[in-house]
Amino acid sequence: MFGSINTSMILAILPEIMLFILAGFVFVFDLVWDDSQRRNLGWISAGGFSLIIMISLMLGTPGSDSGLVWGGMLRHDWLGFAFKMLFLFGATITALFAMDVEDLGKKGEFYLLLIFSTLGMTLMASSSNLIMLYLSIEATSLPLYILAGFFKDDDKSTEAGFKYFLFGAMASAIMLYGFSLLYGFSGTTDLDAIAGVIKAGGMNPVLLVGTLLMILVGFGFKISAVPFHFWAPDVYEGAPTVVAGFLSTASKAAGFTVLIRVLLTSYAPASDTWMMVLAIISTLTMTLGNTLALAQKNIKRLLAYSSIAHAGYILIGVVAISELGITGSIFYIIVYLITNLAAFGIVSVVGRITGSDEISAYDGLSRRSPWLGLAMLVVFLSLAGMPPFGGFIVKVLVLASAVKAKLFWLAFVGILNSIIGLYYYLIVLKHVYLYRSENEQVEIPVTRPYAIGLIVLTIGIILLGVVISPWFNVSTIAAKVLF
Amino acid sequence: MSDPINLIANWLQGLLLGLGLSVGLTKIILSFVGAVVVATIGMLTVIFLIWLERKIAGRIQDRLGPNRAGPYGLLQPFADVIKILTKEYTTPDGADVVVYNIAPIMAVASVLLIWAVIPFASTVVGTNLNVGVLYIMAVGAFGLLSILMAGLSSNNKFALLGAFRSVAQLISYEIPMVVSLLMPVIFARSMGLVDIVEAQMPWFIILSPLAALIFIIASMAEVNRAPFDLMEAESEIVAGFHIEYSGMKFGMFYVGEFLHVFTVGALVATLFLGGWRGPWAEQYPILGLIYFYIKTFVGYFIVAWVRLTVPRIRIDQMLDFNWKFLTPLSLVLLIITAVLDRVLVLVNSERWVYSLVMFLANILIIWATVEVLKKTTSKPKRKEFPMRPVAMAPETSTSTEPSS
Amino acid sequence: MTTELILFFSLALIAIITGLGLLISKNAIYAALYLVLNFFTIAIFYLLLGGAFIAMAQVSVYAGAIMVLFLFVIMILGAEKLGKSNTVAWQRPVAIILSIILLIEAGYVLFWRTAPVQAAQTLPDGFGGPASIGNVLLNNYLLPFEITSVLLLVAMIGAIVLTHKQKTDKEV
Repeated sequence: MFGSINTSMILAILPEIMLFILAGFVFVFDLVWDDSQRRNLGWISAGGFSLIIMISLMLGTPGSDSGLVWGGMLRHDWLGFAFKMLFLFGATITALFAMDVEDLGKKGEFYLLLIFSTLGMTLMASSSNLIMLYLSIEATSLPLYILAGFFKDDDKSTEAGFKYFLFGAMASAIMLYGFSLLYGFSGTTDLDAIAGVIKAGGMNPVLLVGTLLMILVGFGFKISAVPFHFWAPDVYEGAPTVVAGFLSTASKAAGFTVLIRVLLTSYAPASDTWMMVLAIISTLTMTLGNTLALAQKNIKRLLAYSSIAHAGYILIGVVAISELGITGSIFYIIVYLITNLAAFGIVSVVGRITGSDEISAYDGLSRRSPWLGLAMLVVFLSLAGMPPFGGFIVKVLVLASAVKAKLFWLAFVGILNSIIGLYYYLIVLKHVYLYRSENEQVEIPVTRPYAIGLIVLTIGIILLGVVISPWFNVSTIAAKVLF
Repeated sequence: MSDPINLIANWLQGLLLGLGLSVGLTKIILSFVGAVVVATIGMLTVIFLIWLERKIAGRIQDRLGPNRAGPYGLLQPFADVIKILTKEYTTPDGADVVVYNIAPIMAVASVLLIWAVIPFASTVVGTNLNVGVLYIMAVGAFGLLSILMAGLSSNNKFALLGAFRSVAQLISYEIPMVVSLLMPVIFARSMGLVDIVEAQMPWFIILSPLAALIFIIASMAEVNRAPFDLMEAESEIVAGFHIEYSGMKFGMFYVGEFLHVFTVGALVATLFLGGWRGPWAEQYPILGLIYFYIKTFVGYFIVAWVRLTVPRIRIDQMLDFNWKFLTPLSLVLLIITAVLDRVLVLVNSERWVYSLVMFLANILIIWATVEVLKKTTSKPKRKEFPMRPVAMAPETSTSTEPSS
Repeated sequence: MTTELILFFSLALIAIITGLGLLISKNAIYAALYLVLNFFTIAIFYLLLGGAFIAMAQVSVYAGAIMVLFLFVIMILGAEKLGKSNTVAWQRPVAIILSIILLIEAGYVLFWRTAPVQAAQTLPDGFGGPASIGNVLLNNYLLPFEITSVLLLVAMIGAIVLTHKQKTDKEV
């Protein structure tokens, strides 16, 4: 009866199955609990996510063969697996941060959509077929559109949701068109088989570049690379802060996973054609993100532009097309995810009390809440790429890969941009540590879920920068899959 | 002489080929002729149906029905047709003329299209489409479109309201209808209507009476017949979507409705009552045709009967009934039928065991549904009035009160 | 062969005309009805190719469900007549240039293709029928099929979340 489904297939989608079960739990508890208990849905979700991580690490680690499963839809390999764990970690923290947000933490729908979005991401990470890829991208995006516009009564949130939706739908339509052309010209939807067709010269180079550009529109939207970045600042500003955090980290990481996988499997034989395109995108993304961040007065917009800039840095590693480059990119994504989640977590904590996301609201934060100030110091220095935090080592890695690939100009642009970045990150820290404000006596309470999340993330940032080898090894194993 | 229809078709084919036409062209001409014949028979049946329904209505409502024109009033519908043909066509001001005039044609066409896939007898079938069931659903959509177009283009608020209601109703009731259509598909292992009829040993109404019931109810909603005739509710929106139509344009909607009811009867006969099946139907296809028509009229009669006995329901009741009762019920039925089918096929059960288990499962579901309904539905509380004597002495006179 | 060619070209003509009608027509209802016709023509193309199931699904899903909802929305909004469209000044020339590029690209693909056209193969029995589609859908494409259900569930939740009016204390 179920003859065609075996254990390895089940293990390959173990996180997805468990996520689905978790969604069922949240569904039921949302129904039976009343409003005073619904906050506990956050604990259930966060606990469930971390439980899934643990079980997957114990049972679901991919073997060495990294074979195709589910009729060629998925590839159960370390690249996918590592990212799956990363997404689940991001979702855990997001669920924790969401618990004490007004109008959000007590809504079962929020956690449900978060779970479904994570489900889509985990499938994105391992899909090896165009159909599966497209559907999982949609399954990721659709809940995020809703989450971005979750505060219906808030005009900015509604605008954010609508903008994100319109932009996303357009990008996804163009990407789908690219997918369908790719299928039409290569005659297959399997990512590896497409590589075979391209290698055999079965595709006209003009068409190859055409489909590639169309697909890059969709991926560029997900990772908010220039020129598909317009949505990011407005959406991050308007969306609920925790959602913005999730958008800028897990969603972006998912975009990078598929970008890396598609470019380095399907389009690997044509790497000369896309390398230059991607290098230009990377340069533009870094430069534009950093220069526009300089002018920002709102911390969420600043973080949005900074996240655009970081997408540029990560792309450097991809452009290098080497094992070192991809290792660097993957490591960078890990560090970036943890750091930026912490940044948005702090913004959420402060925003809850001060009711403002302006940078001036952070005046004297170190006096109001020293520990929060310290966390902010760690996070922003890591974002700026200062040792001994995680941000430093990964920047070194991607720049090194660029140098190794003889892309000196790209490395130079990267370094230049890091310096610009340092400036505006330090301005924020100046507000936190040097400026004074009238209500310095008012403490900023950090509730338990926030405390847990921020402590884990801050320790993580330091660990990533100090104890490098385990993370580096994981990234290398994941990167090896592609070479 | 056992198969006169194919006899005629073969003769015609020979004749055309004898005239020197190519085989392909002959085929096309024959298909055309077949389509025209089926459509004409359908339209002619409607004239008879109108008389029949009025007669049935008369009997149920304790009157005589039409009885003046011709014997038993048989010529009454012809008189009506002549009258309606001589009426003036009016087009309201500000109407969207093109859409306004296409709508009635589509209303009839959408129904006639269904007849293309119905097997009338073992040898007489328009086209044996392997997705016949899906085809029925697809074509049904055009009926909905025609109502929408009529409502939109009439430039009349009642017409628009009728169209609103039609969308709410038809789209909703399509869901239980599609799901109940899946039961015959599961039993017959095919979506083709020819295969479904051939697989009916025993009739599928025995295998799944519940599916048949759901299908009939949902179909009644699809054809806008009472108790589901909300979109032309006279007391609320005058005549609904066809309020502005006059003459034969109105007649088209009228014909379309009657034909649709008849088609529902044909579908019930085909899907659940064994189609043309019956004693000696395979040897003598003409007998199959007769069986098919009898069964169709049974289906037609059921719909007419319900229409004439049940009052119109409110719009919220209509939606509640569908979304909270019919749809969940049909889904439960589908899941149980599918699982049972899988198990019974795995254990290689005999046909009669299969049928018996399916029948019992259906009965069980019906019983459970009734029990659940008894428990959950809140009956409107009957107000208990204390018994009072018809006449009572005035209360002022205290002396009359019995001392206790 | 010739009958098929005649059929194909007449259908293609209808498809193109209805497609153009959809773009050009100023009345939203006409545009929607043109689209219905267009879907219907495409369904007939599928039928000619032997994909009866896809054809019927196309008609019942697009023409039946989606377009009816389109018309419903048009009706509710009363937006039959399009107002003066406020297009951006550079929109039209850019659109024309892009469509010319697309046309050139299509022509390029049509006339200078790299791989020779393969002769049409005879299809296996039951190809495109419900049984074979079901087999493929629930074996090879099981996972995408299931994900689609998640997508629909999310869409449903989203529709409810974004439109459901929460009863606050103020309103009660």
